[in-house]
Amino acid sequence: MYTYIYDSYLNDKKYQNALFRIESRLLELGINGRIEKLTILKSLKELVADAVDRKSETLVIVGNDETLTRAISFLPSHNTIVGMIPMGPKNEIAELLGIPQEVDACDTVSRRIIEHIDLGKANGQYFLSRLEIPDMTKVKLECNGYSISMSHSGAAFICNMDLQKGPVRCNPQDGVLEAVIQPTEDHRSFTEVFKKKFSHSSVFPITSAFLRGFGENVPVLADGYTTLKTPVVIEIAPKQLQIIVGGRRSFS
Amino acid sequence: MFEKDEQKSPSREVETIIGPSVKVEGNFSGDGNVIVDGSLQGTLKTRHNLRVGKEAKIKADIQVANLTVAGEIRGNVKVSERTELSASAKVIGNLETKILSVEPGAVLQGKVTMMNEIKEFTPEKNVQK
Repeated sequence: MYTYIYDSYLNDKKYQNALFRIESRLLELGINGRIEKLTILKSLKELVADAVDRKSETLVIVGNDETLTRAISFLPSHNTIVGMIPMGPKNEIAELLGIPQEVDACDTVSRRIIEHIDLGKANGQYFLSRLEIPDMTKVKLECNGYSISMSHSGAAFICNMDLQKGPVRCNPQDGVLEAVIQPTEDHRSFTEVFKKKFSHSSVFPITSAFLRGFGENVPVLADGYTTLKTPVVIEIAPKQLQIIVGGRRSFS
Repeated sequence: MFEKDEQKSPSREVETIIGPSVKVEGNFSGDGNVIVDGSLQGTLKTRHNLRVGKEAKIKADIQVANLTVAGEIRGNVKVSERTELSASAKVIGNLETKILSVEPGAVLQGKVTMMNEIKEFTPEKNVQK
């Protein structure tokens, strides 16, 4: 059985035609199912829990990156298959998963190419794309037997999946997270202003780590939406999520 | 006019990069290739290759398959295959390696042990019929 969760921003009139086309196409493909809409009274956590309780085989998120990553963080088990129908802007994850926009995504859902992908875990909470540490000088990352610190200002990212073109490709199926540390560039000359910041980046493949703040609770952003505070225990949950992908996905 | 990201991006073969502003302390053990342009203290082990950049400062015992040095290493170094010291390299410590290449200007202070098997010379014996 399919359950479709619509994000609340889709209540906007400009999405009504697209939603109508999507629902018609789902009916044609024979994969229509229960539709749940996010409102002030119905939270995503409740809707995901309800779908899991009803033993819904496939949970399709109709929305954007934020809707998908939030839904995944609430999924308590990996028995539910997750699909996506991207709508509107901020759909980089869907692009990486090879899922086209709006009505075209219905065919991808129907084809059911399912991949098992890794999830990151930060203080027990799942994340799909990455953790962002805006100021790496305020923390120390302790990995398996060694610690990483930074002398100049810069940011760090613990990546499971690429959202931006970085110094390495992050594969969400390799069982490893990449800790990418990017110093803030000193702009010494006119031409160097335009040199890209990846030239001096550091990259560490990790499976678990402990992020310790120097004396204060340093904010850490999971998937760009959820804020955590140090200390943070970081782990990889290999092949934790079954997700429907398209043929043009960025990983094998 | 301007450099593109891709030109600077290392290939996926490079597993670990320790950049210039990063300091690593402790026992670092990696499975893939390692590039050090920053500082490292403790020990470093990898079954693959280590490249030590010009600005790098390493104070550690090292065990790797192949080693290329342009920066500074203080510690004992064990290389199972090939070691290359470029003109700016400074190695203070004992070095064990199979193949060694040293550019003029490189500094190497310590005992060097070549690990090639040395076949003992045994004169052929005339077997009398």
